[in-house]
Amino acid sequence: MSASLALFDRRGRRRTANAAFVVLCTLATLIALMVLAAILASLLRNGLGGLTLAVFTEDTPPPGAAGGLRNAILGSILLCLSGMAVAMLFGMLAGTWLAEYSRDSWYAKTVRFVNDVLLSAPSILVGLFVYVIAVRPLHGFSGVAGALALALIAAPIVTRTTEDVLRLQPRALREAGIGLGAPIWFTIRRILWKAAAGGILTGALLAFARVSGETAPLLFTSLNNQFFSLDMLKPIANLPVTIFTFALSAYEDWQRLAWAGALLIALAVLTINIAVRIIASRSRHA
Amino acid sequence: MNDVADNRLFQLRDVPEEPSTEAIEQFVESLPTENIKVNIVELDFFYGQNQALYRVTLAIAQNAVTAIVGPSGCGKSTLLRVINRMYALYPGQRAEGQVLLDGENILARSMDLPRLRSRVGMVFQQSTPFPMSISDNVAFGVRLYENLNKSELTARVEESLRRAALWNEVKDKLDSSALGLSGGQQQRLCVARSVAVRPEVLLLDEPASALDPISTAKLEETIVELKRDIAVAIVTHNLQQAARVSDRTAFMFLGRLVEYGATERVFNNPRTRRAADYVTGRFG
Repeated sequence: MSASLALFDRRGRRRTANAAFVVLCTLATLIALMVLAAILASLLRNGLGGLTLAVFTEDTPPPGAAGGLRNAILGSILLCLSGMAVAMLFGMLAGTWLAEYSRDSWYAKTVRFVNDVLLSAPSILVGLFVYVIAVRPLHGFSGVAGALALALIAAPIVTRTTEDVLRLQPRALREAGIGLGAPIWFTIRRILWKAAAGGILTGALLAFARVSGETAPLLFTSLNNQFFSLDMLKPIANLPVTIFTFALSAYEDWQRLAWAGALLIALAVLTINIAVRIIASRSRHA
Repeated sequence: MNDVADNRLFQLRDVPEEPSTEAIEQFVESLPTENIKVNIVELDFFYGQNQALYRVTLAIAQNAVTAIVGPSGCGKSTLLRVINRMYALYPGQRAEGQVLLDGENILARSMDLPRLRSRVGMVFQQSTPFPMSISDNVAFGVRLYENLNKSELTARVEESLRRAALWNEVKDKLDSSALGLSGGQQQRLCVARSVAVRPEVLLLDEPASALDPISTAKLEETIVELKRDIAVAIVTHNLQQAARVSDRTAFMFLGRLVEYGATERVFNNPRTRRAADYVTGRFG
């Protein structure tokens, strides 16, 4: 009698603990989601009104005048694309070396560790670093320096995902290519990269999403440009720095444009993330 | 009580428990020398500090299927991976001794490994279709070493798929992805891909262990078909399979070759106790 009561009691206590844990987890998720929802809501509320056609067709105005964000949008796309091109080149090669050639030597372990540190390096440090090596010696802010800073932020992400995805490929796939008489580099290029393409692309898009919102590294490198320019050797306009400048200003029309720009970046990142999910699920089913 | 069983026990008791090297050599029947394609002589193999093969001596005949059987971890796959030097991909693995392919020692440092592997093909336990079309899969190895024109290449693809008993199932979808094939089809595609480069030796590492009975039967037909032109070595856990497809069977145990001879003889009249226990299903 008392034994079965004790059993019941213990079972009851377990159930209570379980229920409490589930409630706590749900609450934590809810809080995180609410913060996200609040950010998105204020972005939509403040940005949607300012998101007119002029935002895409006119350049950044002086205070009080009408204008848009055309130069900043195009500048941002140019900076991100050229930064990503550099990051993909170095990141894919470095990731491939780490996964296929490094054979876990101490040198490889060092490279991997340094890469992991770079993954979480504060982006403002990257900006300052590029300022020292590419802005000060050349006596001027430039689009090239901005792209370089973004590349430095994206490359570790691409390196890491490339290595991880290549390591996920079955050993037999590698051996099958080599077993047919293909040299190792050829097997990597024609078979492994192809098999890993979905994962590498996913990593690249995530890196792209990350750099598209970076402000700090651009403040020290490409700076900003009030006018339309695609000259990568001169300061170049971009969305994050424009948002930074406009949002801090005292002019209401500038603040409205800043909100519209912020909403644009959020939408772009959202689109990229959805694209990543589609690609990832497709490459799983292929 | 039971004369047959008693006789058998008596027979087995005659066999030494741990045969000495000389004893093993007695159990290894010699092959006609002109028929040897791969001659493995006193091969030792190491994974770092661990020795996995001990003085293995084994000849693989031309136009025959040689089965390598034995319990898990006895060194069957290791032995197979020496013959195309696949082990050389991994640091710390090394082979000592001689492996002669047509009399040439392939363990030599100067060996051109990609060339060697185009002569000694391999099919793995796990089917490994490349992420490309069916015909590109088959043509992959051919394109590496031969400069065929389009119609020659198409003919080679068809011929290889026919030899792997896959042609009828895929002839209408040669350009679709190989990843869409069933497991059994993928494995036969891997055979077709290996056969397409016209290897002299084909190594099969438990090729049917993930296949259903029908696919297995088709694959076995293919294996028997292949020996008309080349030497085939197959590692298998499935003794019935070894009995069905092979002409010669090598039995390995703990890194040593314990018994080697005509398949019928090894199965019906094993001369070592280990082999007898294994083929009668007492262990392994």
